[in-house]
Amino acid sequence: MATKVKEPAAAAAANENHHSAQSGNSLISNDKLKQLYSTMLKCRLLEERARILKKQARFKGNYYAAVGQEATAVGSVVDLRPEDTVAPSHRDFIANFIKGVPLTAMFSQLYGRSTSPDKGRSAPAHCGYAPLNIITPASTIAAQLNIGTGVALANQMKKNDNVVVAFSGEGSTSLGFWHEALNFAGVRNLPIVYVCQNNLWAESVSVKLQTKVDDISLKAIGYGFPGITVDGNDVVAVYRVAQEAIERARSGGGPTLIECKTYRWYGHSEIDPAKYRTAEEVEEWKAKDPIAAMERYLTGKGLFSSEWKQQISDEFAKELDAAVDVAEKTPQPEPIECLDYLYSFDIRERELNRKVYSPKF
Amino acid sequence: MSVSYLDAINSALTEEMRRDPSVFIIGEDVGAMGGAFGATKGLLDEFGADRVIDSPLAEGIIVSASIGAAMAGLRPVPEIQFVDFITPAMDAITQQAAKLRYRSGGSQTCPLTLRVCYGGGTGGGLYHSQTDTTWFAHEPGLVVVAPATVSDAKGMLKAGIRQDDPVIYFEHKKLYRWPAIKEDLPEDDDFLADLFHCAVRRPGKDATIVTYGFMLQLALQAAEKIAEENGASVEVIDLRVLNPLDHDTILESVSRTGRLCIVQEDHRTLGIGSEIAATVAEQAFDCLDAPIVRVSAPDVPAIPAAEPLEQFYMPNVDKVMDALHRVLQY
Repeated sequence: MATKVKEPAAAAAANENHHSAQSGNSLISNDKLKQLYSTMLKCRLLEERARILKKQARFKGNYYAAVGQEATAVGSVVDLRPEDTVAPSHRDFIANFIKGVPLTAMFSQLYGRSTSPDKGRSAPAHCGYAPLNIITPASTIAAQLNIGTGVALANQMKKNDNVVVAFSGEGSTSLGFWHEALNFAGVRNLPIVYVCQNNLWAESVSVKLQTKVDDISLKAIGYGFPGITVDGNDVVAVYRVAQEAIERARSGGGPTLIECKTYRWYGHSEIDPAKYRTAEEVEEWKAKDPIAAMERYLTGKGLFSSEWKQQISDEFAKELDAAVDVAEKTPQPEPIECLDYLYSFDIRERELNRKVYSPKF
Repeated sequence: MSVSYLDAINSALTEEMRRDPSVFIIGEDVGAMGGAFGATKGLLDEFGADRVIDSPLAEGIIVSASIGAAMAGLRPVPEIQFVDFITPAMDAITQQAAKLRYRSGGSQTCPLTLRVCYGGGTGGGLYHSQTDTTWFAHEPGLVVVAPATVSDAKGMLKAGIRQDDPVIYFEHKKLYRWPAIKEDLPEDDDFLADLFHCAVRRPGKDATIVTYGFMLQLALQAAEKIAEENGASVEVIDLRVLNPLDHDTILESVSRTGRLCIVQEDHRTLGIGSEIAATVAEQAFDCLDAPIVRVSAPDVPAIPAAEPLEQFYMPNVDKVMDALHRVLQY
């Protein structure tokens, strides 16, 4: 049942030759191809800005960049509807941007401001956004898969056609939770797409120490639904595979596991120099930069120019400037707000005014 | 007609599922079998397999699928068959359910009611007898309740299902069919119980017992026995809610009686009794006329299977009497 789309060129060729019988998709429009590119480029610019701000200590806490992996999130989120749910991991900050979260909200999140979606609570990169159905992530790995699976259960019970896209890394596949989620989704035939971003390293641990199989997608066989491995640095390939999986989920065909083979350029977080990897390996993967690859592809189709790229970069830099400015000028939460948003009822009175029965105290 | 604790749970579930189509049940053996103890009997026939879900044998997904479904607007009532099996769901309960509202700044919530069967004294051995309520009472963000009466079994479950918070509902297996607590309950689809306060089950003026769950039966028997023995008047408080604790009812009682005995089925160290004792010591020190005494299980892993070991482990009326004598004679 598990199939493979290993060669990026093959996916591109499928697009060129319109082999829609295999993918179930029609030809991808030129506008869509350009959107895939520009969205990846903006994600890159956004994260490089976040990294600089972190290094300048403009915000506290840590950041987990997905630079190098942009195609995985862009290809699978770009066409989701607002009603669809995204269950992000700690490294999917950019999934928020792709789904349409305002940059001001995202930078307020990084800065832990009073206006951030989480009111300054979780962590800079743990961005969720209720109006667009993006689950606020936790740091406990794979938990988002299970909650996302529950959202898919609700969608199925409510008989709507909303889907869930749940992200996780290859490290998460070692957890019992990963198995419980995928097994349940298989049993109930739930409308969910699991996107596993296999970037070869779970913090410092190689994928060879996580699993004996070469392709994570093989694990789907055990759950009774399709699994597919795709070049995670080929945004067109990821998009086609994701579209097929999303359509299957929407139409009642059940879950899909998509393994995107990719690589994070930087360490696990901004404080990780990633000395466990060789320089050669990093360079080898940087040469497979999904953005540069898409530039070449668009150039071949006459859809790319360096002026266009510059224009996107310049305009987006201004949007980033504005969002950073708003975040920096927005106040932090008041200390007392620590006591808020715990229950549906208020606990301030209970915490602050404890009744004392000892007159001498 | 007088109903049992188990009947009360079953009728609460039935009524809430009839009232609100977003309420559904998920757990092990809850469907075709009607639950290990019969709490969900008849529900599959009335509401169908989409709303009474026999889950895979996986506590983690029982709870976390419920969290996601609750986020998406449904009202799940997941079941953990024995609290002894709850540990695979600990991340879901403590890291997700308890923290979702907080970590999302109030924008994402998961109103669910997790029914958990607990408690010893039935010869169930190490892994069918545990209490473990304290793990959840320690976790801000959860509402934790432990009904000790039939009317609370019904009213707190119905109120829990309607509460906009994750509620852990601890039902003591020894109370399921305990004859002495059967009650007549009114025919009322909105028979709801308070989820925030203790209840004084027996008024008194010489000492206060604070307890919950099946231990309430021991406390009431001990209070009655000591009254017959020497006329001492012991107030018995049923905690009902383990998180957030209702400190004021306890403090007010101790401020009148000056003596406090806490009875819990859980282990001693850092149990509910520890928190209550600390609260009284901090906030009502001058009111105390005697040291606070706890009657609890010893600090061993759980209830051993062999009868003499189980009897040593479990609090009983004699142990409560001994504690009351010490407190009253100080």
